[in-house]
Formats: sequence, C-alpha cells, structure tokens
Amino acid sequence: MAEESFLADDFLRQLMSVGEVDLLVGIPSHNHASTLLQALHCVEETLRQNFVRERAVILNVDGGSTDDTRKLFIESSERRDVAHKGLTSLRTIHRISVEYDRSPSQGLALHHIVAAADLLRARACAVVSPGTTNLTSNWVANLLRPVYREGLDFVAPLYARSRFQGLLARDLLYPMSRAVFGQRIRELYSDEWGFSGRLATQCLEKEVWQEEAMRARPEAWMAITAIGGGLKCGQYFLGPKPASPAGTSPDLVDAIRQTVGNLFWCMEINEPQWLNRSSSQPVPTFGPDHELSSDGVPASPEKIFDLFRSGVNELEPILASILAPETHAQIKAIALSDRLKFHFAAELWVKTLYEFAASYHHSVLNRDHLVQALVPLYRGRLYSFLLEHANSSPEVMETRSEMVCQEFERQKPYLVERWTTKH
Amino acid sequence: MPQLLDESLWYKDAVIYQLHVRTFCDSNGDGIGDFRGLTTKLDYLQELGINAIWLLPFYPSPLRDDGYDIADYTSVHPSYGTLQDFKDFLTAAHNRRIRVITEMVVNHTSDQHPWFQEARSSRDNPKRDWYVWSDTDTRYQDVRIIFVDTEMSNWAWDPISKAYYWHRFFGHQPDLNYDNPAVRQAMWEVMKFWLDIGVDGFRLDAVPYLIEREGTSCENLPETHEIIREFRQRIDLAYPGKMLLAEANQWPADVRAYFGNGDEFHMAFHFPLMPRMFMAVKLEDRKPIIEILEQTPQIPPNCQWCIFLRNHDELTLEMVTSVERDYMYDEYAGDKAMRINLGIRRRLAPMMENDRRRVELLTGLLLSMPGTPIIYYGDEIGMGDNVYLGDRNGVRTPMQWNGGWNAGFSTADPERLYSPLISNPVYGYQAINVDSQRRSAHSLLSWTKSVIQTRNAFRVFSRGSIEFLNPSNHRVLAYVRRLGEEKVLVVNNLSNSAQAVELNLQMYKRHIPIEMFGRNLFPRIGDLPYLLTLGPYQFYWFRLRRI
Repeated sequence: MAEESFLADDFLRQLMSVGEVDLLVGIPSHNHASTLLQALHCVEETLRQNFVRERAVILNVDGGSTDDTRKLFIESSERRDVAHKGLTSLRTIHRISVEYDRSPSQGLALHHIVAAADLLRARACAVVSPGTTNLTSNWVANLLRPVYREGLDFVAPLYARSRFQGLLARDLLYPMSRAVFGQRIRELYSDEWGFSGRLATQCLEKEVWQEEAMRARPEAWMAITAIGGGLKCGQYFLGPKPASPAGTSPDLVDAIRQTVGNLFWCMEINEPQWLNRSSSQPVPTFGPDHELSSDGVPASPEKIFDLFRSGVNELEPILASILAPETHAQIKAIALSDRLKFHFAAELWVKTLYEFAASYHHSVLNRDHLVQALVPLYRGRLYSFLLEHANSSPEVMETRSEMVCQEFERQKPYLVERWTTKH
Repeated sequence: MPQLLDESLWYKDAVIYQLHVRTFCDSNGDGIGDFRGLTTKLDYLQELGINAIWLLPFYPSPLRDDGYDIADYTSVHPSYGTLQDFKDFLTAAHNRRIRVITEMVVNHTSDQHPWFQEARSSRDNPKRDWYVWSDTDTRYQDVRIIFVDTEMSNWAWDPISKAYYWHRFFGHQPDLNYDNPAVRQAMWEVMKFWLDIGVDGFRLDAVPYLIEREGTSCENLPETHEIIREFRQRIDLAYPGKMLLAEANQWPADVRAYFGNGDEFHMAFHFPLMPRMFMAVKLEDRKPIIEILEQTPQIPPNCQWCIFLRNHDELTLEMVTSVERDYMYDEYAGDKAMRINLGIRRRLAPMMENDRRRVELLTGLLLSMPGTPIIYYGDEIGMGDNVYLGDRNGVRTPMQWNGGWNAGFSTADPERLYSPLISNPVYGYQAINVDSQRRSAHSLLSWTKSVIQTRNAFRVFSRGSIEFLNPSNHRVLAYVRRLGEEKVLVVNNLSNSAQAVELNLQMYKRHIPIEMFGRNLFPRIGDLPYLLTLGPYQFYWFRLRRI
C-alpha cells in the first residue's frame, strides 16, 4: 500500500518548476487579502535589494481563505523598479501558492514550508506574516542574512517594545525557555523568523507535525529543535513590534494555551535535551538585544487583580492538584492580601510555573485544562508587575526582568526534581 | 548573382560571418592575412552555410585602433592587398551567393587622414571646418567618455593649430563635423565608391555620435537622424537593394529611432540582448532575455535586428545595470585581465569554459531568435582567446585552419605573424582547428554547419514572428516562431541540470512536433500541457505540423 503524501500533486508540480533555490520566504495566510500584497511586495523588494543574484521563491501557504488571498498572491504582478528601464532582479523571483487545508493551522503551514525548503534545497528561509502591518524589507533581509551569510540555523526577531507590551514573553516565555533550554532567545514565539535549509530538513524528519500543540505556534519548537540539534541560533533586532489590529490578537486565555501549552509540550518531547543542562548562554545578537521605550500605560490593573482573586478561588481544587501544597497556600495567601500592597514574588512565580510544567508532564489532569488554570495566576503576576513598575524606567524594568531570568535558572533543579518525580 | 526570393530584403535572411581580413589567411607569407588568402577560404565559408561576410576595416590606417582609424577611405591597406584583390574577392564571394558588408567609419577619421592633416595645418584651411574645434575644452561637458580606461576627456589638444579637437573615441580619432555639408558629401562619395565596386552594404560605425550640441549628451540627436535619412535616400535612389547596418550601442527604445519609418537603417545591432543571453545561461533563468525582448519595440517591416554573441570588440556591458555588470564580471571575467572599458574581452568558447553544450545552446539561441545572426570568425570551431595581448587583440588572433605550421594561417616565421597564435593545450591550434573538425561528423564545426543549414531551410527563423511561452519552469526558455503556416517551437534548457517542462500549446492542438535535426516525430499535441524533458543545456527545435 503506497504511503500517502501530505503534499498535493499540484504543489509538487509548482516546486518542480521552481527547482533548486538559495532563498525561500514563506507567507502563511488566512483571509489576508487586505494586507497580503504589502507583505509580498516587501519580500520582493528585499530580494531585489539584498539578494539580487540569488535564486529565490516566495511561497504562500494558505489555510482556506475565502477572500481571494491566494488569487491576489498569484495574479498580482511584480512591482518594478523603473530606474533601470524596468530591469529589476537578475533572476525570476518565483512565486508559488498552495492551499494546505480548509482551515488555518500554523503547524500545517510550516510543515509545507519546511517540506518546500527541503525539496528545493533552500539555504536560507524566512517566515513572515501578512498580518504584520509594519513589515519592512529590512526585516525580511535581517532574518535571511544571518542564515545565508553568517551560517546561523535559526534567527529569532527582537523587537522594540513599549514598557507594558509583550509581558507574557518577558515575564514567562523568555525566562522559562532560557532556563530550561539554556539559550537566551528572547522571542521564541513570533510571527517572523528565519531558519536554514539544514534545520528545515531536520524538522521535516520529526514525527510531530500532527500534534495539537503544533497547530497554532510551531516556531518555538523549531528553535528548540535547532538547539537540541546543536545548530546555531541567533536573534536580530528588527524594530518596533506593532500592536495587533483590533480583533486579530488572541485573548489571554488563547495566548497562554498556544504559547505556554506549546512550551510545556516542547519540554515534554525534548526532555533529554534539557534535563541535565544548567545555566544559559547568550546567542549571537545583531543590533541591541532589547529595547524598551518609556511610553505605554498599563490598562485596568484593578480588573486584572479581581480576575486573579476570583480565579484562585474558583479553581482551588484544580490548583490543588497542580501545585505543591505550600505553593498553593502562598498563592491563596497573596490572593487575600490588600490590593495596593499586593506582591507576587518572582520566587513564587517561578516555583508556580515549574510545578505547572511538572504537572503537565505527569498529566495530573487534562493538559489543556491545566494550562488554562495558569491564566488567573498569570494575571496575578501581571498585576504585581504593573504595580511594581507603574513608574519604573525602562532600565529598571529590564534589570528586574534579568533578575527574574536568573531566578528561573536558580530554581531549575527544583523543576528537574518535580519533573522526574511524581508527587 | 543568384537571385533571392525577395532580393531587397536579403539581409533579413542572411547569416553573417564577421571577420578581419588580417586574421583569416595570409597568401604571401608576410604574416598578415590578406584578400587573396581570404578568397581561397570562401569555399569554407560557403560550406559553413553563411551567406554574408562583414569585413572589419581594411583601409589604409596607422592601425592604432585596429583599422577604425582610417587614413584613406577609398583604398586598401597594402598589408591586405590591392583594390583589385578586393574586387576579385568580391566577385568570388558573389559567385558563391555570399554578400559582402564593409565597414564605414563615418564618425571620425585617423588623425593621419589628409583631411585632418589639412584641417590642423591652419585655422584658415578650407578643411578646418571638417572637424570640431574649440579654443577651450569645456564645451559639451554633459557628454560621457566612452573609452574610460584610456581617455580623460573628449577634447584633445592640437599643438599645431593650437586648439582643441573633439573626439568621442581615442584621441587620435578626431570626429568629423557633420554640420558641414561638405563632410556629408565627401562621405557620400566614399560610399558611392564602394557601392560602384559592388559591396552589398555598410556597417556604419558609431552612428549616435555624428552631431554635437551644447547641453545634450551629443548622442542620438535629431540632426544625426537627418543625416542618416539623407544617406539612405541617396542609396535607395542610386543603389536599391544595398543595406545599411547601424552600430548604436544603445537601449532598444533609443535604437528604434535609427530605423525611422523604414527610411533610415535597414538593420541595427541589438546590443542589450547579447549580454543577457550570457546572463540567462549563467543565472539559469530566462528572465533577462524575456525582459529585454519585452522592452524591444516593433520595427518597420523592412527592418531587422542584428544579433550576435561575440564580436571583435569587448563583450560590451554598457547596456546593463550596474548590478548586472558586476554579475557578468564576477561570473565571466574573474581575472581582471579579461576586463576592458565596460566589457569583457573574451571569446565564446572560453566564456563557456569550453563546455560544448553551452556553446551549442547559445548558438542555437542566436540562430533561432528573431533577427539576423552574426557569427564571429573562429567561434564555429570554438577558438580560444589571449586576454594578455592588450586592448582587444586577444579575440583577434589568427584563424586556426590546421594543426601545422602557424595553424595553416601563414607560411611566415611565427615571430612575424601580426599576432601570436593561440597555443595553449586547450584552445591551441593543435587542438582546435578547421581541418580536424572537418574530419569529425560530431565536431562543433560540423554541428554548426548543420544548425545553420537547418535555419537557412526555414524562412520562419529569419522573418517569422515570435511568441514566448510562459512555462512555470523559468529555467526553460520556450517560444514559437511563426510565418504564415510555418510554425517552429523552440525549447531551451538554460540550466546545468535536467529539467521537465509543461508547455501550454493549446493553440497548436492536434499538431505534430517534428524534431528538426533528427526529423523524429514527437507525440501529437493534445488537451493536456505538453510535457518535455530536457537534459542539461539541451534544446529542441520542432516544426509544428498539422497533418
């Protein structure tokens, strides 16, 4: 019985026409008709300006758009630079498109992208989102160049953010992934990143593509695969991260399910890679490794606290099954504290997260429910952060963030102990 | 002379062979090729299948620019023979149905030409105004310098008459003043002289530069076109069927003007196409060729583009972008000695790293694309070059006829030859020569004969329209040439690897492709895209027949 391929014949035919390439840029889409062309032209400009001799393909992987996204991608003509009698890049900038499914899945989209990268023997690849409204050609070039010219295998973006933007990444995802996997990559979860053909080939061989955790946010897994494979990772400062247009960003519950759930899953499947690893190492960084601006104000902190307090109450039995008794007790205690004197200490926060991760590993309850139970606790930590830093300068906030990272690293033996021992 | 089907348009059906009489065959053992020697080689050229010869300048000259510095327009340089030798050669060529196109360097003369000698002799001389003089070197500051490697200015100081004279090329080549009617008349007398002898056409050298006007680039000016129209009118009246070919190294849209309404030049070189053919093969992408042909305007029905791969000059990179130029230098002229001015002084075979497949592919492109093809002498056998000879002399070495004494070019002592032979183990005359290739049915020479013969057999190549197919595989360049019911499908794999391509040939449904070299039938074109596979650098020519 012949084995079914996930690649459609038409997609293979398109790949065959393109042939071997040096560069591949993937643009996952779903109903992005209003912004797709901007991203497409931005990528084309990148290739024309920075990689004029290279063989390149732009690959649109679409999750069942109903708004002509694919049609626009295929039929729009290359925007031409008229400076030289209409002559632009030396080579054809290939443009191909595939509908991988009737519904969107970043994992399936990435699966098609890495398969294309592997089959076309691309040396450097990037994924960019048509939803990123301030995507520039520099962004794309900066993701491709370290891979193509510096030999890196994974390039994460770095963004300039306002003080209260990206807190989930700064207070949870970055410090925890740094402590666990040992590499200081700040933005494991992003809409843009670069990777090598070598990494694509390694990823393609993994039997994870059908996993639910891969559906929404596969990019961190890719970075962790690179780390685990001993490949070189780096990060490139791109500029200000735009706020997602209203209605397009996932709410906090979804965001935590997609990212933290994915992070726990990555820890699960890469256990041998990190259990014995201590401390962390910086990765090659192009441009500043962080940039916080002093603008931005926290929104409705009181409501956040209320949600924390009610969540701790309502989820008490669930939290009791996840957390160690003393941790649970400390959380219940701070939930009762005065709103204005509230403090969710980094030490407790780290311990809480590590216990969640271990409970995820031991499947003490439905994993999705478990991850969702973290939401009110994150709100508590967020509220504490906002109280503490309402008037802090960016420098002070960054110093505190680094202290949180160190706390995650300090307590890592506790994580290993909880992970390896079922309580 | 044998009649062609449409005599007046003979240049459209021509396959032109470009040569310098000095390089081809030496009959008197002085080490320099001559007309008598060339005449003895006409059978070879007839056998090759070409039907026109373009001769580089053979006039008396100090030879400081390979004869483009003419000192006497109506005679033959003594090294190459006599005027009678030329006439005998012309008759012999015509007897073989081969036409002869000569060089007419109209823009400038040598500074040794009597016209200039008179002009510089005093400011009052009647010929003073035959050239462009100035008391300062600040006029026409907007004008570019063409020979950037050697010239600092377009003005040169004449110490005799103590004034500056204008020159667009070397300082020893003063530009004629075409604002002076006497100059135009004198040049017409020169043309008449050669047309009366029987030459079939002129290649007019450096035509964009005939007129100077302050505040302009002094190129392609309206007055220049007036002069061309005047020459053309005179030729059409007195010498119908004679042809004018423009050398205007410009973008197609600018060259288009030199065709006028069919009342200026009959033909013009398509300079920008040439580097893009090389680029396309190196890039393995049809884009450069398609792009430049898309920018090429339609020309009047009695006109034709002239296309070429290599010639006696450097492979000019003036009509490419700086990005493209850098790419061409990096890919084809890694050794700085290969570069001169804005170009590459190399021959076809060495540029293709002696890869027979790529030489054939490019020759196949040359012979199947719209336009009259020009083959540079020696390229039909894959001759090499010598980039260390200075200027562009490395691509002007003696023709390699056999593996014997001086490659069969001359009986002189080797030291006396006008130029050293190519003698390296790869391209040297012992390895690459006409005699050895004549003996092999599979040699490049035999192949070239065969492909020229095929082209000559189908007028669709010389006069047909072209329609590019647009297969998704960009490594494949495919087009259909069409003339009435005659249809030819050309499919080229520009890459170094095997390729599959699906062609949309719905317009030719039910036609049977017949491969033109082996005359084999291919599957009939049906409803589905027509699938072809091609080996590295392989190409097909198919006749499309509806039977």
